[in-house]
Amino acid sequence: MWKLFLFFSILSLANTAENINSDLINKNVQRTIDLNSQLVKITGTITIENSGKQGISKYLIGFERDLQGSVSYIGVQDSQKNPLKTSEVAVIGRGTNELFYQVQLRQSLEPEKTITIIFEVIITKALNPYPHSITQKEKQLVRYFGNHYFYSPYKTQNQKTEVLVSSRSIESYSKLKPVAQTDSIITYGPYSDIAAFSLHPLTVHYENNAPFLTVTRLERTIEISHWGNIALEESIEIKHTGAQLKGPFSRYDYQRETSPNHHSIRSYRTILPALAHSIYYRDMNGNISTSTVKPHKDYIELELKPRFPLFGGWQSSYILGYSIPSFPYLFKKSSGEFVLNIRLLDHVFDDMAVDELETHIVLPVGVSNVKVKAPYEIKRLPDGVAYKYLDNIGRTVIRASKTNLVEQHIQDIEVTYTWKSHTLLHEPILVSIALFLIFVIVIIYVRLDFSIGKPEHSKKE
Amino acid sequence: MSQAGTKKGAVSKLNRNAAINSLIICVVLLLAWVAGFASRLFAVIRFESIIHEFDPWFNYRATAYMVKHGFYNFLNWFDERAWYPLGRIVGGTVYPGLMITSGSIHYILHLLNINVHIRDICVFLAPIFSGLTAISTYLLTRELWSSGAGLFAACFIAIVPGYISRSVAGSYDNEGIAIFALQFTYFLWIKSVKTGSVFWAVAASLSYFYMVSAWGGYVFIINLIPLHVFVLLLMGRYSNRLFTSYTTFYILGLVMSMQIPFVGFQPIRTSEHMAAAGVFALLFAVAVLKYLQSMMSKSEFKFLVIWGGSLAAGLVFATVVALTYAGYIAPWSGRFYSLWDTGYAKIHIPIIASVSEHQPTTWFSFFFDLHVLIATFPAGLWYCIKHVNDERVFVILYALSAVYFAGVMVRLMLTLTPVVCMLSGIAFSILLELYLREEDSGPSEIEGDESTQGGKRLYDKAGKAPKIKHEQVKEQDPIGPNIRSIAAVVLVLLLMLFVVHCTWVTSNAYSSPSIVLASYGSDGTRQILDDFREAYFWLSQNTADDARVMSWWDYGYQIAGMANRTTLVDNNTWNNSHIALVGKAMSSNESAAYEIMTALDVDYVLVIFGGVIGYSGDDINKFLWMVRIAEGEHPKDIRESDYFTEQGEFRIDAEGSQILLNCLMYKLSYYKFGELRLDYRSPAGFDRTRNAVIGNKDINLTYLEEAYTSEHWLVRIYRVKKPDEFNRPRIPVANRVIKSSSFISKKNSKRKKGLIKNKPVVIKGKRSQ
Repeated sequence: MWKLFLFFSILSLANTAENINSDLINKNVQRTIDLNSQLVKITGTITIENSGKQGISKYLIGFERDLQGSVSYIGVQDSQKNPLKTSEVAVIGRGTNELFYQVQLRQSLEPEKTITIIFEVIITKALNPYPHSITQKEKQLVRYFGNHYFYSPYKTQNQKTEVLVSSRSIESYSKLKPVAQTDSIITYGPYSDIAAFSLHPLTVHYENNAPFLTVTRLERTIEISHWGNIALEESIEIKHTGAQLKGPFSRYDYQRETSPNHHSIRSYRTILPALAHSIYYRDMNGNISTSTVKPHKDYIELELKPRFPLFGGWQSSYILGYSIPSFPYLFKKSSGEFVLNIRLLDHVFDDMAVDELETHIVLPVGVSNVKVKAPYEIKRLPDGVAYKYLDNIGRTVIRASKTNLVEQHIQDIEVTYTWKSHTLLHEPILVSIALFLIFVIVIIYVRLDFSIGKPEHSKKE
Repeated sequence: MSQAGTKKGAVSKLNRNAAINSLIICVVLLLAWVAGFASRLFAVIRFESIIHEFDPWFNYRATAYMVKHGFYNFLNWFDERAWYPLGRIVGGTVYPGLMITSGSIHYILHLLNINVHIRDICVFLAPIFSGLTAISTYLLTRELWSSGAGLFAACFIAIVPGYISRSVAGSYDNEGIAIFALQFTYFLWIKSVKTGSVFWAVAASLSYFYMVSAWGGYVFIINLIPLHVFVLLLMGRYSNRLFTSYTTFYILGLVMSMQIPFVGFQPIRTSEHMAAAGVFALLFAVAVLKYLQSMMSKSEFKFLVIWGGSLAAGLVFATVVALTYAGYIAPWSGRFYSLWDTGYAKIHIPIIASVSEHQPTTWFSFFFDLHVLIATFPAGLWYCIKHVNDERVFVILYALSAVYFAGVMVRLMLTLTPVVCMLSGIAFSILLELYLREEDSGPSEIEGDESTQGGKRLYDKAGKAPKIKHEQVKEQDPIGPNIRSIAAVVLVLLLMLFVVHCTWVTSNAYSSPSIVLASYGSDGTRQILDDFREAYFWLSQNTADDARVMSWWDYGYQIAGMANRTTLVDNNTWNNSHIALVGKAMSSNESAAYEIMTALDVDYVLVIFGGVIGYSGDDINKFLWMVRIAEGEHPKDIRESDYFTEQGEFRIDAEGSQILLNCLMYKLSYYKFGELRLDYRSPAGFDRTRNAVIGNKDINLTYLEEAYTSEHWLVRIYRVKKPDEFNRPRIPVANRVIKSSSFISKKNSKRKKGLIKNKPVVIKGKRSQ
């Protein structure tokens, strides 16, 4: 299966150097740049007009330079909220510095017609703390560098941008008229008749005390047992990626600081599936006793407190594990194959950013014919073998990795495999045979006489 | 059994009896094992599966290293993370038996694909071995007395607090397996003395080898067994069996014990081991004399014994003395002297005296650790003396020496416990045999059922014969059924109280992991104080990998185990001067300490401070030992008397000595504490541990800065600043102005000279401008 993937991806890379069709015009663009959290969330609606003579079914969304590593997620919908297929492409005539995504429209756009699409983009690591390091008592200020104009390979007739920031205390922002600020919203535009690939730097320097917490590495292990249980374990490394802490950390000041808007991170919430049980939260030194579990109707909320509050530049790591019953996730097809639908990535905290994810799916003993269907492009690593309790035959481990993920990537991976149910009894039988043999050996041993000489009492007799 | 064909019926009855006996023995031993295992799990159930205290952390770290890197790499392990900058050769300075034991359990389990984490094996090793100890105690007592006594002894040792104190789950220390090895060696030794067989002697020496690899207390065996032989010789109980077993045991044990790298050539070079060699020689001399006796006349023999004996003894003595002076045989070590003179350590080796478990034992702790057994074991001893034979001489000597050592050091209570259990087992077994002998006297092992029957009888006829004393009972004359039942009930009650006491002590005194603390609120809710792990984990995550942490030696192993950082000193207190240097840094003022810390490349300083939560084992309470140890090496710079008030008190409040109030330890413990109000009733800066308001509230640090303080202030970590970041602002060279003329001393502001602003300055030889 993964060979097919590889083949298609090579194929797509080779063939998708796209031309820019200058017949398309962005008639109206409404953008909202949400800077409330550590992520930059850009949502917008584009009204596209075909000014040419032929129907067009492809539309390109572009990003200015230096955003290659940071565009984490892009999702495009049409006006009826149906998702449209989006893929990263190279564009003829533009360098590799820029990033383009091609949107496959649902039906081709006829000449003189317009269509509206809605897009959502999540950019990570785009908010830079400035000043770079602050003391414990100072506020955390960040800068955002963007573009006043909607960066597009097409001409834009009319556009407007709203920037949402988390607080009223805005140090400064770039002023390309017309611009207006009300409370925590800065409105840029409307700007009209902007040429393609226009760039005009937008900067906002403002206070942002949202948790700047990045999961630097997440290793998620999913172990399936056909006895009816799925065990999950996430080994998580987190780091505060906001402004660095300068100077001493004072516990005294920290204990007096009661405002919730502090740049340090005391705790955060993780959402687990509603059926999760046997939850543990530990690190290499054992259990971390500062966590609370609150069951809700359709999820379990876990308030995790790291061993120590996280300040800028500090990091921590922990292991979170739990079990869920397998029936909502594991199905048997009529063809006898088993289908597992389970999240490739799960919630760690709100507005999370995951640098590196590695998911391991440990399948039961004796599976064959494994097929994997990923919700988005993942890097399949070579399959491994795991030996769990009393396994003399190893279990297949499917390993996959991906970098730069956000909440929108919490989607199901589908694994299909064939498995014979009698292998379930393999290990109990093995243990029974071993015990039986031990008893037999003991029984035989007790009845044998290994002594060289005759026992004394028999001599007497 | 297969040969016994003639008397089929009798044999089968015999077989059935033997089978029932062995079934009972098996069941009782199994139950003892289970009870011993279960009663050691308090800490795991209350907290978690975690390694306790201090030394176990090193053992765990070493075991994990061995599991990861293999045995040979472990033996060659040079740990550069300890004793910076010296390092420690771990393989050569450790008793590897513990690590090998749990490492091989781990290996076998993983061969069977039972994936147990090495930490869990380490945590549960001591409880599992307690069952083996019970079994070997049973075997030993059976050899000495009877299997009934053996079962009693096994049940006692399974739950007795004196042994549990060193073997709760998580207390992963040498003692946990060493007591098993000790008892098992003694059992094999007794067996070999009884049989005179080379097989048992070899087995004893193998078990001795295991003991040597596990614990430094093997010296106890290698002195006690020769003492046994020596006393037997004195008593005229020489036999060929004794000769065979001791010579075999000694030679094999000697050769094998020298295979442990840490022991090396000590068995032939130190005084502690010389007694064994001396007895070895003596045994040969006696054997030769016995041989000659059979060939000589009485007068010739007498002459030979007197002259030849004294000559040989003098020769041996002279050789030993000469070798000692020449340096081939090391004289007694300080630790050994402290066993004979309890005041020795306090004067000469404060580092040994500073450990609480090296203090002399109080009467209270004898009762606390042994309860009723301490009262019954003299009875068992008396029975052994009364019915003395070769092997009972051994247990008498064992008891006497262990009682002495347990009185000297709290820690050696551990060696007393097994013998107390054995002798009490004998005493109880005899008493019950005496009182429970009915018409068809059953074997004493099933006393449980019979005694409850006795109990029922008591309630019917209570109060009838309370005045009849035991003296009358001891005569073998028939004893009335009432007395029998009363005595039996009293004994069973005692045993029940013993069980209750054991459980209570285990639960309350010996089941705290000490790295996780728990406090109980007024409504019974439990609050976990996890400050140690919080701070150690902070160190491990947010300091450079090669950061060097200075702390008092108590915390060295924990920092290495939990934070994985380099330490200067740790619980392996092999280098007194290095510890004294750290003590000196802690007890000097900040600038003097900074010099020491720069010389030692210290990056972080860690102190334990209990003033916020009232934790008494903190560094300020240990501080006088630091001063004493520092004074021992640096008497010119540190004087203990400087840290006391004029009245000779150690006070941390405003009346304390100024040197104390300004030393590094004080400053680091109380930094910013002067501003903290713990509750509305007490003033700011009130130390809950010492119930005093601190004397120096305004503490400023020049050379260090607070890097981390745990939630309840229990662990405070400070970063040592680099020379370019002291509190003065850094001015570029070009802007530096030396304002020496306008300097006004603030100290004596009243006597300052008059100063006129913009005073014209006359410079000689120049025209003023």
